[in-house]
Amino acid sequence: MKKLINLTINDQHYEVAVEPNQTLVDLLRYQLGLTGTKKGCEMGDCGSCTVILDGKAVNSCLVLALQADGRSIQTIEGLETGEGLHPVQEAFVEKGAIQCGFCSSGMILSAKNLLDQKSNPSEIEIRRALAGNLCRCTGYQKIIEAVKSVPQAN
Amino acid sequence: MSEYTVINSRAVRVDTPDKATGKAVFIDDMTMPGMLYGALLQSPLAHARIVSIDTSKARNLPGVKSVVTAAEAGLVKYGVSPARYDETLFCHEKVRYVGDDIAAVAAVDMETALKAVSLIEVEYEELPAVFTIEEAMKAGAPVLHDNYPGNICAEVHSEFGNVEEALADCDLIKTTTFQNKRQDAAFIEPQGCIASYDLSGNLTLYSSTQVPHYVQRTVAMVLKLPVGKVRVVKPYVGAGFGIKASANPLELSACLLSMKTGKPVKMNYNREQVFQYGRARHQFTHTMTTGVKKDGTIMALKHLCYLDGGAYSSFGIATVYYAGSLLGGPYKLPNMKYDGYRIYNNKPACGAMRGHGGVAARACWEQQLDMIAEELKISPIELRLKNMMVAGDVTCNDLNMSSLGMKECIEAVKDGSEWTAKKGKLPKGKGIGMACGFFVSGAGYPIYRSDTFHGTVIVKLTEDGGTALVYTASAEIGQGSDTTFAMIAAEALGIRLEDVRLESGDTDFGVDLGAYSSRQTLMTGHAVKEAAEDARRQVLEVLAKELNVPVENMDIKNSLIEFKQGNVDFTGLRTRYSKEHRGWNDNPADGPLTFREASRIAYLSKGSIVGTGKYKPPELGGKYKGATVGTSPAYGCSAQIAEVTVDEETGQITVDRITDAHDCGLAINVTSVEGQMEGSVSMGLGEALFEEVKFDKKGHVINADLAEYKIPTMLDMPQIKTIIVESNEPNGPFGAKEVGEGAIMPTIPAILNAVYDAIGVRIHELPMTPERVYLAIQEAKKGKTG
Amino acid sequence: MLLPKFDFHEPKTLNEACQILAAYGVKAKLIAGGTDLMVNMKKKILSPEQVISISRIGELKKLDTSGDSIRIGSCFTVADLSTSDAIQKHLSALGEGAKNLGTPLIRNLATIGGNLGSARPAADLPPALMAYGAQVVLNSLSGERTLSLDKFFLGPGFTAAKPDEILSEIQIPSLPPHSGAGYINIGIRKGQDCNLVNVASFIALDTDGTIRNARIVMGCVGPIPLRASSAEKMLIGQKPESALFARAGAAASLDSTPIDDFRGTAAYKRDMVGVLTRRTLDIAFREATHRQ
Repeated sequence: MKKLINLTINDQHYEVAVEPNQTLVDLLRYQLGLTGTKKGCEMGDCGSCTVILDGKAVNSCLVLALQADGRSIQTIEGLETGEGLHPVQEAFVEKGAIQCGFCSSGMILSAKNLLDQKSNPSEIEIRRALAGNLCRCTGYQKIIEAVKSVPQAN
Repeated sequence: MSEYTVINSRAVRVDTPDKATGKAVFIDDMTMPGMLYGALLQSPLAHARIVSIDTSKARNLPGVKSVVTAAEAGLVKYGVSPARYDETLFCHEKVRYVGDDIAAVAAVDMETALKAVSLIEVEYEELPAVFTIEEAMKAGAPVLHDNYPGNICAEVHSEFGNVEEALADCDLIKTTTFQNKRQDAAFIEPQGCIASYDLSGNLTLYSSTQVPHYVQRTVAMVLKLPVGKVRVVKPYVGAGFGIKASANPLELSACLLSMKTGKPVKMNYNREQVFQYGRARHQFTHTMTTGVKKDGTIMALKHLCYLDGGAYSSFGIATVYYAGSLLGGPYKLPNMKYDGYRIYNNKPACGAMRGHGGVAARACWEQQLDMIAEELKISPIELRLKNMMVAGDVTCNDLNMSSLGMKECIEAVKDGSEWTAKKGKLPKGKGIGMACGFFVSGAGYPIYRSDTFHGTVIVKLTEDGGTALVYTASAEIGQGSDTTFAMIAAEALGIRLEDVRLESGDTDFGVDLGAYSSRQTLMTGHAVKEAAEDARRQVLEVLAKELNVPVENMDIKNSLIEFKQGNVDFTGLRTRYSKEHRGWNDNPADGPLTFREASRIAYLSKGSIVGTGKYKPPELGGKYKGATVGTSPAYGCSAQIAEVTVDEETGQITVDRITDAHDCGLAINVTSVEGQMEGSVSMGLGEALFEEVKFDKKGHVINADLAEYKIPTMLDMPQIKTIIVESNEPNGPFGAKEVGEGAIMPTIPAILNAVYDAIGVRIHELPMTPERVYLAIQEAKKGKTG
Repeated sequence: MLLPKFDFHEPKTLNEACQILAAYGVKAKLIAGGTDLMVNMKKKILSPEQVISISRIGELKKLDTSGDSIRIGSCFTVADLSTSDAIQKHLSALGEGAKNLGTPLIRNLATIGGNLGSARPAADLPPALMAYGAQVVLNSLSGERTLSLDKFFLGPGFTAAKPDEILSEIQIPSLPPHSGAGYINIGIRKGQDCNLVNVASFIALDTDGTIRNARIVMGCVGPIPLRASSAEKMLIGQKPESALFARAGAAASLDSTPIDDFRGTAAYKRDMVGVLTRRTLDIAFREATHRQ
């Protein structure tokens, strides 16, 4: 039986009815039309479904929609500001860190989550923080360059 | 400073802002009104006779709209190469691997479709199955396809020169056997599609494919539709690497179900089905015998290869040829003999994957060349340079190296890695190794033998002036081809990149054979260039008439018209343009005549300005059987140096650094060239160290997920230093040629040679897992003490 | 991939959770981070009728280092373990296990309780926790009991927790002076890997510098994480030095009972137990000499 939940996605409040066996990624993609969050494996192995849940990057394929009740979610659609691309998005575009683009949403959110927690991360810190996001196209080189190039507050 | 204004630069890709913001639409992001969901019934057994199929319970399930089997689909044989069409959409007599397709269902939602699949009752009579080359070739082994006795799907026998004679004169003869493992492409987006059949009998298929054109033809052929009624459209694709380069059962099933129901039907593979469908790199077992002179001159190569093919041919015929032909270069090799066999068995079919057919062969041979260099006490670099071909050389199997920056690549990685300071001077456990490789820049012939153009392109100028629309059926699958072609169009027209809009991946735009065999930059690129030049010529011809200036005295650059011989009075044209746009506040008022004005004037004179372009390779060499596989208008080449650390107690290898130089002719988009090089290295590194699709004794894939099938993570990849070497390819548009696949060739052997340098032990089987390396070290120790 | 159908419960207190669990027993499964259960449900390995989320129970999320023992709530996340200064200071081997578990995305969801409760032989946290002598606290309507982690694991996927019991807390006795521990895991690749072998070692030194106490725990080489008893015995009363650690490694190899599987052969895993035991003892000894 469906249950009503309340959640905040990209600073917007939603009240939606979800099935107990519905995953967060399916809620986002198929019910709310937020298709920027991708599904690559559905087992928590690839990271293409990464969203930021209460400030932490997680695999949204491993979260039940009901578990997101009352929580705050950021998806790739929520990164752009009135002034345009988020600096992490800008860096990925500028540095050529995107090829097929299927991992990019998740990769960008993991990178943003890292930079929110730590400014000027070292290369190994970047590699550790993004190790849950698989990319088969880039060899990761330009992704790392992009993350390094994001302007930092201090 | 480049002589070009748009190409040969670092351009921001046209598709990436949408991809960075989640706006780019991939197949599973699409929905259509009234859309149904399809699911497949796939065989749980590796080899079985189908006694009966009962779909009545499935059909009666509420919400089910259609159930189709071979009875509805028909028995038209299809595949990749017409010489080996050995598949039908659904199995009718027997199943040949776990995952072979038996039926498909369309229903109102996925849950109902899956439930219906579970209600289809199939009675099987299990048959003995074969899973290895040895089992499949044994006398009396069960046969998969009646018309291929002995389970030999294809065999190749070729000899150029006289190998036995040459070997008799050699000072050193080396034989090694090498084996890689079955790979999965592990693209992050699983295959998916939506088919939509309308009331007028038009079928549109949206699919995650690399080859809209081949899919269009296959769908038309299998479902017996006029090809003109079938349109294939490719949304953004989450990469393919060769596996999405042919029509798959999802696409055909969705089309059939849509035709049956009159509704759009969506179908997807889940990750397990991606592995189960397979079609990625074969397992190759190579035995190579190389003969050289004392001074290191390579004289002859005798080569035997077995390919573990799986249940169907897929690309396999081409694969077994490539496995031999791609050793013809880049070294001067006067004598080469090849015997190749592709063997059927009851596993998913293997097919084409990045570096098609050549990757394991290259790894085997480049390691063997290092062994030879060591015995002759010649440095590996010297041995390679000594035998290296140069531009204009033709291999013994008639591959024409019309450009070849191989020596430059070797010098570049040697300097870039500080090879000389490191080779032979590293502590135990650390090693450095190098290797070379090359690859076709587009298959010389279509997969179906034909006189077709390989690409046609239309460039249409917007009637209001100023923007060029490029229509190409080529496939952007992540490699950056849309940007490359937009850049080529801009350069050839003389306009800015932002004045080009490009649409691709739709069979309605023309013919393009698609993204495989590293063909698009050269082949589609040529067609784009020709179409853009055609449009440019038409604009200038109108201007010539209007202004009474010869065409050759005009040029277009940066979207401005340049007059080479002094000032030309074009105020009349400018006034006309302004009158066409009364009340607009951005009409050009002063300064040079703009392309925007010129293209409007051209339209007013001639109607829509449409430039067309086409490409077909020139006549290529080779008159022998199989010459169509390996011959190409051009060849990209590369050299790499790997530096590794090996933990000798655990066998764990860390790749510390890769230095990679690739000759791509002229780099159209420098960033994209580097991206292809870096991506190739990572795929090669995965194959070298981690990747292997494994099966249980019943033919099920054990590791059908991205946890147990291990591709490199960010923690596994080293820093890659990329160096672009630019030869000028006479057969390429603006001198450009491939980078997407050639760049993977040296990675595995460079790592193999570096590992040997680190531990003094040769490894002849991939992947180099910690256990395999550890065992090799233990064996070597036993050898020394025992 | 569709999940099986189930009813979902989200109690706010441990007591409420115990009540729901008592009502459904074996028909229910607990979910915390979900990184194990969700995958098993998608693969249809598990199809519980009732799913009880304990991730909103505040009392299960604490980390308390104030008392005699360190107490970690079962819903404390692996990410928090891996970044906690207190864990790094007191339980570095556990921190190391946490850093190497899954991926950053998994660690943000996964909990310490889940990593124990799923009872996977290759899990990253049990070896260090067992080496530290941890106990688990199990709650049910009938009360609370503590159990040594040594006695908690029964087999792959099976624990000593009864169907109505909830693992609420992990307690680690405070460490004696001059003690230390080390943890190393190896896999095929460096990121995101299922372990081939993982070992944690703990030693405590006497005032004369000899080894007073030692615990060595080996993962992936038996149906449950195993104590290397003969290796431990060999160490006690001895002066720590590398030759001794190498002998202990060899003994641990013999203590292990690995099997061949698609990830690796028993022989390789056994040899790696020896290497990792020696290396973790080195780390433990280094830490022991620094910890006052």
